[in-house]
Amino acid sequence: MAGAALPTAELTTSGRPILLPNEIECSLLSNVELEPEGSPPLSSSIHLRSSFLILTTHRLIFVSDSSAAAANTASYVPLASVTHIFLLKKSIKSMFGSPRLKVQLSVGSDGRVGGMGTRSIVATLVMRGKDDVEAFVDKFRQNWGARVWEREKESESASSGSSLVVESSASSSGFDSRGMRVVGVAGILRREQEMWESTDKSLQDAFQDLNALMSKAKEMVMLAEKMRLKLLSGPSQAGSSNDEELGSKEEMQDWLLSVGIVSPVTKESAGALYHQQLSRQLADFVKIPLERSGGMINLIDMYCLFNRARGTELISPEDLLRACSLWEKFDVPVMLRKFDSGVMIIQNKSHSDEEVFARIKLLITRPDALQMGVSAGDAAMTLGIAPAMAKEHLLTAESRGLLCRDISPDGFRFYINLFPEIRTDDIYLVKDQGIYATWIKCASSPSRLQ
Amino acid sequence: MRRRPGIGGLQTAAAARDQYRLLGENVAKIRTDLMKEQLATFRSQLEDFARKHKNDIRKNPAFRSQFHEMCAKVGVDPLASNKGFWAELLGIGDFYYEIGVQIVEICLAMRAQNGGLINLQELCSLLRQKRKGLREAVSEDDCLRAISKLKVLGSGFEVISVGKKKLVRSVPTELNKDHNEIIELAQAQGFVTVDELERRLSWTSGRAIDALETLLEEGFAMIDDGHRDGRRRYWFPCVSSISSLGGNDA
Repeated sequence: MAGAALPTAELTTSGRPILLPNEIECSLLSNVELEPEGSPPLSSSIHLRSSFLILTTHRLIFVSDSSAAAANTASYVPLASVTHIFLLKKSIKSMFGSPRLKVQLSVGSDGRVGGMGTRSIVATLVMRGKDDVEAFVDKFRQNWGARVWEREKESESASSGSSLVVESSASSSGFDSRGMRVVGVAGILRREQEMWESTDKSLQDAFQDLNALMSKAKEMVMLAEKMRLKLLSGPSQAGSSNDEELGSKEEMQDWLLSVGIVSPVTKESAGALYHQQLSRQLADFVKIPLERSGGMINLIDMYCLFNRARGTELISPEDLLRACSLWEKFDVPVMLRKFDSGVMIIQNKSHSDEEVFARIKLLITRPDALQMGVSAGDAAMTLGIAPAMAKEHLLTAESRGLLCRDISPDGFRFYINLFPEIRTDDIYLVKDQGIYATWIKCASSPSRLQ
Repeated sequence: MRRRPGIGGLQTAAAARDQYRLLGENVAKIRTDLMKEQLATFRSQLEDFARKHKNDIRKNPAFRSQFHEMCAKVGVDPLASNKGFWAELLGIGDFYYEIGVQIVEICLAMRAQNGGLINLQELCSLLRQKRKGLREAVSEDDCLRAISKLKVLGSGFEVISVGKKKLVRSVPTELNKDHNEIIELAQAQGFVTVDELERRLSWTSGRAIDALETLLEEGFAMIDDGHRDGRRRYWFPCVSSISSLGGNDA
């Protein structure tokens, strides 16, 4: 009798298997044959032909397909007694024949499959149907590995710590068998439940895939490190201004960038091609905002403007920084400038420091400025730039010796630096020309504001 | 090769060097071909991953943060550049750069109120309000990552920890230890007084006033002289989330 050694699975009147509580159906294959190997007494009692194979989280259910039989019979193999799943062999033979999957089952002493036995036999699943075998094998392994039946035996509070998902898996709360109707509140709740479970499972898949991906990425990183060292050591060769070499170095940096490894822009190499292109694009884009904001603009403002203009395919802050740093290699009319406080701005080359200082000097030698000093806001209005940048310029001018600061309850103000004009050996001497004299005149004039 | 004296010798030596160089280039070329191949394999694997899990990454913040941690362990930076495979295939770049832009906008808008220091939670909730139309959830972790990317642009974008809270700074002013302690103390009631500072931290009044004045200048603190006991209170919008009080007439 075929299948006598396999436990019988119960079927509903329409031939569908009755699932255990918490058992979920995963996959269905048609026309599968179970062929045991080994000694005859065992093998003949297990041999099954042309069945539907239903894979669930707990068992492999074989439903016999024979239309000749009066009543459908079904037997199952509990996944618990599967001790090993062999790899699906891919050979020339298997291309023409049906895929065969070897499975090792543990058999009890009486020859029945099920539960923990002392002996084991190897059986082969021959899949003669036209289904996707790979997917089935994957799911088989997963279900077998997941060992849902064991977890149920443990305490009900299965907040599966193995899963790294923050949302706790709700699989412990019951899941009725397929006989339940799909209407009403119960149906809705059940559907919610199913959605959660499927998300959970797909996330578990995701994590497995993520792990596999990361291990590959690690290999890439190691290879890339070797490449990077080669890049860095490249320039040390004598007279290597070989065009070909430079080209390949750029290519290599492009690849490193693709994988996500940031490599330094060496002095000779011009960085990745991507950044070079971006750099030129930026130089063109930047012209209009620069004019609008008086010749200089904060790097972070530029980041926002550029990305907003782009819409999609935004650039990263590091992309922007690198592209701007490349400007000094090309002949573009804009430059990147870093202040001591760390603020970085983009300014027109025509807006050199000297020019700005000249304008500040003009501003600060006006009579009202000599009396009251200049604050960042005033400077901003006169120079036509943003207050933050005006402040930066005033600070730079101060560090060059052009201005002096005055911190009072009124705020932060700058005055022209008179100290260079005061000679240490005769501090009361006032030269007729010079700012000192002008200052004294202003300071002592009656039109002084109180 | 025998070393020959004279011009002939130099020529032979030069020819030998050339040959070695060609050989070296060939070897290098093989390595680059290998690298190209590896890259192509990696890319296709990433494509598979992306096909299956792109949605998971967009919709699930926990998975996203896990993904980032693993990348960091391996040593790759998925947000380094828009050109990378990660950005291209997973679309993860746009997500974070967009968040970055929105954070900059919010900080700029709130600067008048809080001087450039804003509570991280407040920032996240304002960000969510701004993104109400889109259905992608933004977690605090996402904000932190976006801000850490913005740091490279200068202008002082940084997350500082003060006491139990995290504050996001968007101006280049540095806060020293005294300032941090004041802000930490202010978390309790939203304000501090000079007496409180002297008492709790055992500072001299000069030190307390000095620190408070600096914070005032930079715009992080506001003065309140209206209390019955006549003592001046220094309020800190960054820790007391005044914006959430709305139309409350205090």
